[in-house]
Amino acid sequence: MTPSILTAHRLLKSYDRAPAPALDEVSIQVAAGESVAIMGPSGSGKTTLLHALAGIVPVDAGQVTFHGPTGAVEVSSLSESRRSALRRDHFGFVFQQGLLIPELTAVENVSLPLLLAGYRRQDAESRAASWLDALGLAGMGGRRIGELSGGQAQRVAIARAQVTGASIVFADEPTGALDSATSVEVLDALLGSTVGQGRTLVVVTHDEDVAARCARIVRLRDGRIRDDSAPRGAAATGGPRFAGAGWSADEDGSL
Amino acid sequence: MTATTPAPSVPDIPARLHRGRPRIAAIAWRLSRPGGQSAAAVVLPVVAFAITTALLLTVLGGTMMFVRTGLGDPDLAVYPILAGFAVALLVVPLVSLGGSAARLSARRRDDRLATLRLIGATPAQVARITVLEATAFALAGALVGAVLYLAATPAVGLVRFFGEPIGAGSLWVGLGPLGLVVAGVVLVAAASAALGLRSVVISPLGVRTKASAPRMHWLRAVVAVAVVAVVVVGMQNLTLFGQFGGMLMMVAAMLVAFAVVLAVLGLLGPWLIGVVARAQLRRARTASALIAARTVLESPKALWRQVGGVAMACFVAVVAGSGLALAGVAGGEMEAELVEDMHTGVWITLVMSFLMVACSVGVNQAAQILDRRDLYVGLDRLGTPRSVMEAARVRGIVGPLLTVVVSAVIAGGLLVLPLLGIAIVVAPATILTLLLVFAVGVGLVVAGLVASRPVLSAVLAAPERV
Repeated sequence: MTPSILTAHRLLKSYDRAPAPALDEVSIQVAAGESVAIMGPSGSGKTTLLHALAGIVPVDAGQVTFHGPTGAVEVSSLSESRRSALRRDHFGFVFQQGLLIPELTAVENVSLPLLLAGYRRQDAESRAASWLDALGLAGMGGRRIGELSGGQAQRVAIARAQVTGASIVFADEPTGALDSATSVEVLDALLGSTVGQGRTLVVVTHDEDVAARCARIVRLRDGRIRDDSAPRGAAATGGPRFAGAGWSADEDGSL
Repeated sequence: MTATTPAPSVPDIPARLHRGRPRIAAIAWRLSRPGGQSAAAVVLPVVAFAITTALLLTVLGGTMMFVRTGLGDPDLAVYPILAGFAVALLVVPLVSLGGSAARLSARRRDDRLATLRLIGATPAQVARITVLEATAFALAGALVGAVLYLAATPAVGLVRFFGEPIGAGSLWVGLGPLGLVVAGVVLVAAASAALGLRSVVISPLGVRTKASAPRMHWLRAVVAVAVVAVVVVGMQNLTLFGQFGGMLMMVAAMLVAFAVVLAVLGLLGPWLIGVVARAQLRRARTASALIAARTVLESPKALWRQVGGVAMACFVAVVAGSGLALAGVAGGEMEAELVEDMHTGVWITLVMSFLMVACSVGVNQAAQILDRRDLYVGLDRLGTPRSVMEAARVRGIVGPLLTVVVSAVIAGGLLVLPLLGIAIVVAPATILTLLLVFAVGVGLVVAGLVASRPVLSAVLAAPERV
C-alpha cells in the first residue's frame, strides 16, 4: 500500500460572520504520488480545505500532518513563519491567475523560489530554464509575463511550483481562466510534471474534465465530504510522461 | 417522450420605468462608497491631497511673509527673490506629489471604470464619473489639508528668520489665497483625472496590459555630459562674463548655468536611474535585489517623477551651501544675519522637498500594494518571507533615490568646484551639516516607505477582504 504523504483529521474551520463552518469535521488522506481533485459547489469549503492542507490558513480544530522527507510534521501546530518555510521548501502552488511578478521575465519568475532557498542566481536560472524547456516554453525564458499567453503564463506558474522539487503541488482552479484547448495543454503539463514524475497533486476544480483525469475525486458540500471515490468510468488518464527537466538525477531538488 | 422544461418567464419592464438621462452623480457616489475593499482606495487619495494642500499653503505662507518683509524694507529686498527661487525648486516635488495623488485617485478606479465601459457606458459618461470622483476626493483632501496647515503653523512659526522666530501669524495666507489654493488643487486633480482616463476610454480591456519597458537612448547621456562640461568651463571663466558685461552679466550667466544644469538633470535622471538599475539587475544575487531592479526598469521615468524633486534641491543645496559657507566666513554683521537666514532657507527647502518626496513615495507605495494585493497574497502563500517583499520595496526606491542624490551632488560640486574645495577647508561644519541633511532626507523617504508597511500587513492578514 502506498504510504500517505498528507493526512487531515477532523478539520474544523469557521469564518467570522459565516452562518456555518467552512470545514466541518473533514478527514482525508492523500497518498504519495496520488492525484486528488477536490470538487463542490461555490461555498462548499473546497478552497478552504486546500488552504488548510497546505498550511495557508490555520484550522480551529483537527490536525494536518505532512509526511515529508525529514519525517512527519504537524502542519496545524506550526507557527506562521514555520508554515511559511514549509510551503517554501516542500509545497508548490499553482493559482487560477498564475500570480507571477509582471516585471520579471519567465525564467526569473521560475527561479525565484530557488533564490529564496539560497541558491546561486546562475544555478537557479539554469534550473528554471530547464523546467521551462520541459514544459514547452523553450526560448521564452526572457519574455516578461505580459508578453506570454494565458496558457504559457500558467505553465510558467507550474514550473515555479516545482522548481524546488516540491513533494506536493496544490493547484486552485489552475485552468479556470483558460479556454478548453489551452486547459487541456496546461493540465497535461501539470499532471505530467507531478504525478507523471511520482509527485503528488491536490487540485481544486469546478471542471469535471479536469477532475476526471485525477485518480480520486473528493466532493464537498456544506463543509463536509459527501463522496470520495475514483472517477466514474475509466481510471484516471493522468498526463503524458514527462521529461522532467532532467530532474531524475537529483529528485530532491538539489542543484 | 421527453419532458420539456418550461421556458423561464422574463419579467417585463414596468411601464412606469421610463428611460431617462442616466444620473452620473448617483453612479459615481455608488462607486466611491467605502466598502470593505475600497476603504483604502478612498482614504489614500484624500490623504495625499491633504498633504499636498497643507505643504502648498505653508510654502505660500512663507513666501508671502518674505514678500511683505521685502516690500516693507529695501534692505531686505533680496528675501523675496530668494524665497521665489526656493518656491521654484519646490514646485517640482510638489507637482509630483499632487500628480501622484491625482493619478492615484484615477488609477484606483481603473477596473470599475473599465467594467462600466464593458457594460455599455459611453466614454463621456465614464469621463464624467471619473472627473466627479477625483474632484470630490481632491475637495475633501484639500479641506483637510487646510486644517492641517492651520494646525501646523504654530510649530512652523518657531523657525527663525531675521534673528527671531517668525511666529504662527506671519504664515497666515489669508482667506482669499486659501480658497484659491483649495480650488487650484481641486482643478488640477480634475484635469489630471481626465487626462489619466484616456487609456480606459480608448480600450476597456487594455488598461492593465503591460508592454516592454522603453529603453532610453545613450545619446541623452552624451548630450548631457557635453552640456555640463560646457557649463563647468563657463563657470570656471565667470570673470570673462564680468569683463564683457559687468556684474549683471555675471549673475545672468550664473543663472543660465544653473537652469541649464537643472534641465540636464531632468534629461539625464531617468536614463541614469535605468543604467544603475540595469547594473544592479546584472549583479542581483537575491530575490529582493532582482525584483527591485526589475521594478525600477519597468519605468525609470515614473521613479524619476517620484524622486527627481530631491535631485534639484540637492543640486542647489551644494551650490548654495558652498557659496554660503564662504560668505559666512568672509561677511560682516549685516551679512552674517542674511547668510544665516539663507542657510535656514536652504535647509528648509531641502527638508521640504525630501518631505514631499517621502509623502509621494508613501502614497504611491500604498497604492501599489493595494493594486497588486493578489500578487502579494500569492507570494505569501508560496512561502515568500515578508522580509523579502519589504526589502524589494525599499531597494526599489532607495536605489533610484541615492542615484539621483549622488548625481545631483556631483553635478553641483562640479559646477562650483573651486568654491566647494575652499568651503570644505574653511567651513567644514557647513558642508558636514549639508551631508547630514542629505542623510536625514534619505531617512525621511525611507520613513515614507515604512509608513506604507501596515497596508501590506493588512493585505496579508486578511487576503480575502482587504
